[in-house]
Amino acid sequence: MISVKNLSHSYSHDDKLAVNNISFEIEKGETFGFLGPSGAGKSTTQGILTGLLKQQEGEVIVAGYNVKKVQNERFNKIGVSFEQSNVYSKLTAKENLDYYAKLFDVPTRDSMELLHLVGLDGKENDRAGEFSKGMKHRLTFARSMLNNPELWFLDEPTTGLDPAIAATIKDIIREQAAKGTTSFLTTHNMYIADELCDRVAFIIDGEIKLIDTPKNLKLQYGRKLIDIEYIENGKVVKETLKTVTEEDRRRIGEIVNNHDIQTMHSKEATLEEIFIQVTGRELV
Amino acid sequence: MKLLSSYFKEMKIAARGFYFYIEIFFAVILLVILLVAVNEKSVSKQKEFLYYDMPEAFKEFVIQRQIDKGALKLIEPTEFKMKAIGFEVKNEETGEVETYNFDAEIISLRTYQEYDLDTGELNKTAYIADNEEDMIRLAYQEQKIGATVAVNDQGERSFRYYNQGYETDKFVNLLYILHNKTPDVLAAAVESQEVTKLGDIQTLNNRENLVPVMVVFMGSLMGFFIVMAYIYLDKDEGVIRAFAVTPSSIWKYLLTKTMVIMTTVVVSSSIITIPVMGLQPNYFLFYLLLIISTFAFASLGLFISSFFDTISKAFGALYIIMIAMMIPAFSYYIPSFDPVWLRFFPTYPLLQSMKEIIMINTDLGYVLTYSAVFLGGGVLLFVLANFRFKKTLTV
Ligand SMILES: Nc1ncnc2c1ncn2[C@@H]1O[C@H](COP(=O)(O)OP(=O)(O)OP(=O)(O)O)[C@@H](O)[C@H]1O
Ligand SMILES: [Mg+2]
Repeated sequence: MISVKNLSHSYSHDDKLAVNNISFEIEKGETFGFLGPSGAGKSTTQGILTGLLKQQEGEVIVAGYNVKKVQNERFNKIGVSFEQSNVYSKLTAKENLDYYAKLFDVPTRDSMELLHLVGLDGKENDRAGEFSKGMKHRLTFARSMLNNPELWFLDEPTTGLDPAIAATIKDIIREQAAKGTTSFLTTHNMYIADELCDRVAFIIDGEIKLIDTPKNLKLQYGRKLIDIEYIENGKVVKETLKTVTEEDRRRIGEIVNNHDIQTMHSKEATLEEIFIQVTGRELV
Repeated sequence: MKLLSSYFKEMKIAARGFYFYIEIFFAVILLVILLVAVNEKSVSKQKEFLYYDMPEAFKEFVIQRQIDKGALKLIEPTEFKMKAIGFEVKNEETGEVETYNFDAEIISLRTYQEYDLDTGELNKTAYIADNEEDMIRLAYQEQKIGATVAVNDQGERSFRYYNQGYETDKFVNLLYILHNKTPDVLAAAVESQEVTKLGDIQTLNNRENLVPVMVVFMGSLMGFFIVMAYIYLDKDEGVIRAFAVTPSSIWKYLLTKTMVIMTTVVVSSSIITIPVMGLQPNYFLFYLLLIISTFAFASLGLFISSFFDTISKAFGALYIIMIAMMIPAFSYYIPSFDPVWLRFFPTYPLLQSMKEIIMINTDLGYVLTYSAVFLGGGVLLFVLANFRFKKTLTV
């Protein structure tokens, strides 16, 4: 669905690169997470993929179209949810969607149904200018689904939303994924990526550090840990051991065979911990 | 279809914003000013300095005849405070140059008011100088027309004009006509060919004369400014970016903006023009030129706005262009100020064309030529703006 080869971008047209020689492929039906801290180049990449930014270096094919060529009809297949909500504040929620729907050449979804989906029912006749930030964000999100996109760009879809609404948005994204929609999801929230994405790319300073499934990453980098409490000489002793090293595994066996176990918990490293481990940076 | 729905949406947004009402409100204010504050009758502020180069008795005879007819009325003499001055006068026919030098002094001149015999209106004030040098000097200092009235062997009156040197031919011809209108002027004195050509010249009254300026002001300047305001409102809200990821093209977006401006301008210009002009103008030509010129200036606004992220950054360019567009209005009101360079300002031919349209004897060729020029320029600017907008959309 998306093929990116050696993509670079500089806003100042010099060697100061916001995106530096990145390559990746996204399969049809995949939910692909683009993860990185602020300023990593996520929005820049999405801008190029959606044609909002002029492509400079490399080769980018999106939904079968080379983005270098101006072919507006490709947007019939594409939906874009922006990081910063951008709706007409002078139009009502429903007018915003209805007007936008008319710009497509393909059948579009019912605006009321979409408003209901994002929890904006009852607000359809209110002007978007009177909406809260989160409501505007949901309207922008709903708008991106109008044309039943095959390829869906989601820039920070849940950032700044309260947990209940964020959960609704996540459910919608999952539902769409189940229907076969390909998504390009940009976020700096590792939990979202972990929950929603089939594969994730770690991007930092405009470069992709690695691409893999969350599961593989955890297997590979996640030191699965075990906390054990046992009785030794009448006292409670606590030890934390890794499941991946040979030595620790022998030690676990030893404890289990020779001691009275009080408690034993296993815990998983989060994607966030892995990110820090791989890139040496925090996700801010 | 997309264009039409975009247009209706933009109109809806415009109707919910305040720029639309500013323009309408402004038009109403201007109309009220025109109808209430501007007198339809022209109160002439024209002045003329005359020297009668003829025997005293004959001069008095000529003047007295005019007074008897009601064309002239003697009023209080006027005092002029003359500055010390030196200048040259060049005779256009012979090329001779004469130098004059004067000291400061106070001159008192016999003063007459000239009336139009047909309407009884006050036409202008005439000052009679005792010698030719005073007349020339006054004309120079006051920046007004001066003339020597003489009588030839056949008893025909002739005029020798002293102009400032920058008047148009049309203006000079108009001078002849003004004299020609006084019935006792011997036709032979002003038999130049221009006179017959311009013989049926029709003028606008004061109120009508303001209409072209207001229409051009509302159409071009406001169109130019408001289209930029709309673009920056949209840039602020980010809706251009949302538009850019739909199958619809940017040119349609830009065109709907100009269409909204054209609608607003048609409404506001009609508010001013129809009550003042009634059925006199050729409204087909009027709206044709109005729409075309508004399109051209709105396209200019689009083009300019493609270079700046925010309206405050665009303000310098906006300001300079608005001022430049207003300068031709001076020439419109001060006929003697008509330098050649001014004709290259787009509002110059636009003002003249609008004036032609609202007059009865419209110079169709002039109006259509400039309509074509504005259409061509507008399309070119629109294409450039579209090209620029496609390049400058940012994430
Ligand atoms: N319009 C612009 N002009 C110049 N530089 C820009 C522009 N937009 C972004 N940049 C720079 O490009 C780099 C990447 O920015 P980008 O917006 O792609 O980051 P991001 O990963 O989306 O960050 P965030 O999580 O904060 O949205 C940053 O260094 C940023 O300063
Ligand atoms: Mg971003």
